[in-house]
This record gives sequence, structure tokens and C-alpha cells, in this order.
Amino acid sequence: MSAVDLSVELCGLGLKNPVMVASGIFGYGTEYADLVDVSSLGALVTKAVTLEPREGNPPPRLCETPAAMLNAIGLQNPGVEVFVTEKLPALRDFGVPIIVNVAGATLEDYVAVARRLAETEGLAALELNVSCPNVKAGGLHCGVSPDLTAELVATVKAACPLPLITKLSPNVTDIASIARAAVEAGSDALSLINTLLGMAIDVERQAPVLANVTGGLSGPAIRPVAVRMVWEVARAVPVPIIGMGGIMTARDALEFLLAGATAVAIGTANFVNPDTAAEVLKGLEDYCRRHEVARLSDLIGAAHQY
Amino acid sequence: MFNLTPTVVSREQVTPVHVRLRLSAPEIALAALPGQFLHLRVSAACDPLLRRPFSIMLTEPATGLIDLLVQVVGRGSEAVAAAMPGQSFDIIGPLGHGFPLAPSGSQVFLVAGGVGVAPLIGLAEALAEAPGEREIFSLFGARTESLLCCWLELAERCVEFTAVTEDGSIGETGLVSEALARRLQAPFPGKRVIYACGPMPMLTAIAAIGREADVETYVSLERWMGCGVGACLGCVVPAAAPSVERYLRVCKDGPVFPATALDWEAMPR
Repeated sequence: MSAVDLSVELCGLGLKNPVMVASGIFGYGTEYADLVDVSSLGALVTKAVTLEPREGNPPPRLCETPAAMLNAIGLQNPGVEVFVTEKLPALRDFGVPIIVNVAGATLEDYVAVARRLAETEGLAALELNVSCPNVKAGGLHCGVSPDLTAELVATVKAACPLPLITKLSPNVTDIASIARAAVEAGSDALSLINTLLGMAIDVERQAPVLANVTGGLSGPAIRPVAVRMVWEVARAVPVPIIGMGGIMTARDALEFLLAGATAVAIGTANFVNPDTAAEVLKGLEDYCRRHEVARLSDLIGAAHQY
Repeated sequence: MFNLTPTVVSREQVTPVHVRLRLSAPEIALAALPGQFLHLRVSAACDPLLRRPFSIMLTEPATGLIDLLVQVVGRGSEAVAAAMPGQSFDIIGPLGHGFPLAPSGSQVFLVAGGVGVAPLIGLAEALAEAPGEREIFSLFGARTESLLCCWLELAERCVEFTAVTEDGSIGETGLVSEALARRLQAPFPGKRVIYACGPMPMLTAIAAIGREADVETYVSLERWMGCGVGACLGCVVPAAAPSVERYLRVCKDGPVFPATALDWEAMPR
């Protein structure tokens, strides 16, 4: 059998393969450069960038839970100006599409970041973080409301001509309605899911483990929730979906593709095994050969035909 | 920084809760500096999920062997401590910044609390092997005598070794920080350096003692870690003013810090 075509089309971006690294995992790319061939990724999503620098939440910020972890980093980042001038040049050198995750506390913040990125060379797309559950002033409020999501998407879309990917929160009653609102407002693609809101208590100290009290749950424990949401959103909207949530192996990634995702992003698994993306990609190729699938993109949403 | 799968060569049950593992890891034995750590994958499955950081206790570049000291505190360390010869571990390392070596002529205090003795044994070895002369004192605190894991490894590399137990079962009674404060009362004309590794309350006390006595003090911290390489910002601790960053990463900026670089008032337990 001839070579498997692993490329996928994602809102105008022709990705050489569908395996990306999720926001917040690779920092701004350089930390993992010794361990991972970053250039083999389909795309890289940066850690969230805000208008002003943010110091983040006080520690403890992270703990392990069964087959998962909780984090409350609190969007620690150096701000968009430092990102563009100091972090981005090294990221560009990897030669992979760079998707910048954008966060903010107010609509004006998002617009200012989007404008700054609009005038910046070498970016593939924006990923709009409407769903970070850890920053009380922004994030959650917006991502749980279809109207607020639509307003944010339309405003950012008007401020920046780059393809816009909206990252959805799973902490909602009906994710399909949020997805529809984002797409109707102009979102070119959707990412899902962000972390699930969770909490752990230290029973010896009789106090919350995280200083922020609550945190975002990620890792293989949340995968069935994520797969279900990708399935629902794929039925609700026509735009491409980047599926994520607990992907550890190619088998896991296939669940998302078959549920309707065009691409997948590796998050927590990178901490466990920095080679996860490469292993997933290899596994996807093997799967296609075994199932005589010439183009990986033929698998997108295939499980909906059951 | 390597991602390797070294094999366990030997396993020794040092105390009821401490295990010493010897691994064959030539690249790490050659590259590691005292105070650096390794990030171990503890399960091939998804649970326990995250890697666990372990200080490197000793390295032997000539044979390619490295020693780790594991205290069983939870599911992750339990899995590591249960390793038998022949088993291999997925390891990333060596990681982080180690201890800067005190200059020749200085008087050095190695202050260990429990399993925190591990990196100080490697440091004692490095100080002894470094050019010049240093007077190395060590103080090792634990709740009780049976928890003074690998104490001989520390004692034999120092001119004076003091055991300190909270229950008085051996050595001085009380806290190791109090014993250090007593030692520092003896005047010394030259440079003194304190190196400490142990639980956070002990390190907080030692940072205060070092500040009070105006002695250069280095602490090695342990926190939950995600990535271990500086990307996820999960393991941070508060930095002292006038640091530009409010938080420093234990994995990348540490795990060894000058005590004056940290904001001890805001330090999490």
C-alpha cells in the first residue's frame, strides 16, 4: 500500500498531520526542544497570552487525582508584547504552524491582544480562550453563555483577520448551543474540551489542596466526557473541530477523529511522555494501513454513520 | 537532559519506609550535578499518572551507576520503591539547578531532614572531591532513630556528624534547625555556607537562621510537578522581592535556591 495521506485541512490551514500540542503544555515551545522534535507536530498551540503580564495564581497550583490532574496556573504569562518580541522568534524557528491562545479579563483586552497579533508575522491562527476556569474576572462567565461567546467571537474576528478557533468549556449544560453561537458569530473552527472544573481536599489538613481552591481537571479520566462533547458538537456545527481531553495513545486520538474531530491536541500526556505526539502520529499511520484507509481525513466523523 | 530507560541494578531496604535504588545510567552519571533531580515515570498505565521527581543521591561516572533514595509517601513512590533488579524506569534528567560549591577554606553545614538527606550526600561527595579544603559539618534530623536513612553515607563524608531526633531516640533531642542554630553560635572567621534539604517547615526555619546569622544559605525544594522541564508552571514557589517574576519554578529555576531568593512568608506548606 502506498503512503498514507495524514494531512488535514483546518480552516484554511493545510496541516501536514492532525496531531497538535494543546495550549499550556509546551509553554512557548522551547522548554521541550531537547526532548521532542517539535517540527514534526501538525501545529503548536501556545500557552495563553494576555494583554498585560500576569503573575498567575499562588501555589499549590497542581495536584494529581485518579488518572488525571488538577491545575490552577491562573494564566501566568509575560503579556502579548513580550510574547511577540521575545518568545515568538524561537517558536517560528520550529517551522510548524503557530496557533496563539488568547485570553483576557475584558472584551477590550481580547481585542487589544488580537490587534497586536494581527500585525505580527508568522502566525497561523488564534485560539480564543473563552473557557479558562481559573480566572474569576474573565473566562468562565463568557464561555458559559451563548450570547457572550458570540459577542466575544464577533468582536475578536473583526479585530484580527487570522483564522479564529474558539476553545469551548465543558463546564456548561449544553455545549452544542455554545458551539452554534460561536460559529454563527464567525468562529472558523472549535477546540474542545478545556479542563473540567474540579477540586481536591487534603483530608489531613482539612483544607483544599489548591490555593485557588478549584482547578481544571485534565488527563485520561476526562476523555469520555470530551469524546461525547466532540460527538455532540460535530452534529451541531459544520466547522472543523480540534478534539482534546486525555489523549494518551493513537487509539484515544482515533476516538476523537471518529467522533468528528479534524485534528487532535495532546495535553497532559506530554508531561507523562514527551513523545506522545510522535507516538500518536505513528499509531494513526499504522491504523490507516491496517484498515486500508488511504487518507486519514476519511476517518473524520466516521462513527456517525453507525 | 535525556529521556532514558535505565535498569535497576540493586535495591536495598534502608528503613521500613526508605529504599535505595541503584540504576545503570551512564549518561546521567556523567552529566548530573549534585542537587539535580530525575523525573521518573512511575506507571506504564494511566494511574498514577504524573511523573515523580527524585533527587540524585550519588553518581559514579566511572561505572555509570546512580543511586536514588525513595521514601514511600503515596502510590507513586510506593511503585518506585517496589522496583526489583532488572526492572527499568522511564527517566527524564538530569533536571534543574544543583548546589553551587562553597569555595575552598569555607565551613560548610549540610542540614538534612528525613529523605532530604539524599542530595546532600552527593553534595558532600562533590565538596570533598573539589579542589581545595572545606570543613564539612552535617546535621541530620528525623522523627526517630529508625528514620535516619543512609546516615552513614553522610557521616563518612564529613568531619562531624550530628543526629537529631524529635523523640530523643538517638543524638540530640529536638529539631535539626535548633541544632544548627547552636552550631552557628561558635565563631568562625572565614566564609560559612549552609545547604539544606527537608520538609518545608524545616527549610523555613533554616532560611531564618541563615538570615539571622548572615550565612549564605541554599535550600533544595520539593513540589508536585507536571512537566519537570519548566513549561507548565505548576510547581512554582513565591520569589522574594526584587525578583522580576513573582513566582519561580522549582523544576527549572531550582530545585536549589539561595534562601534569600524566596518569599518565605508566602511559601506554601
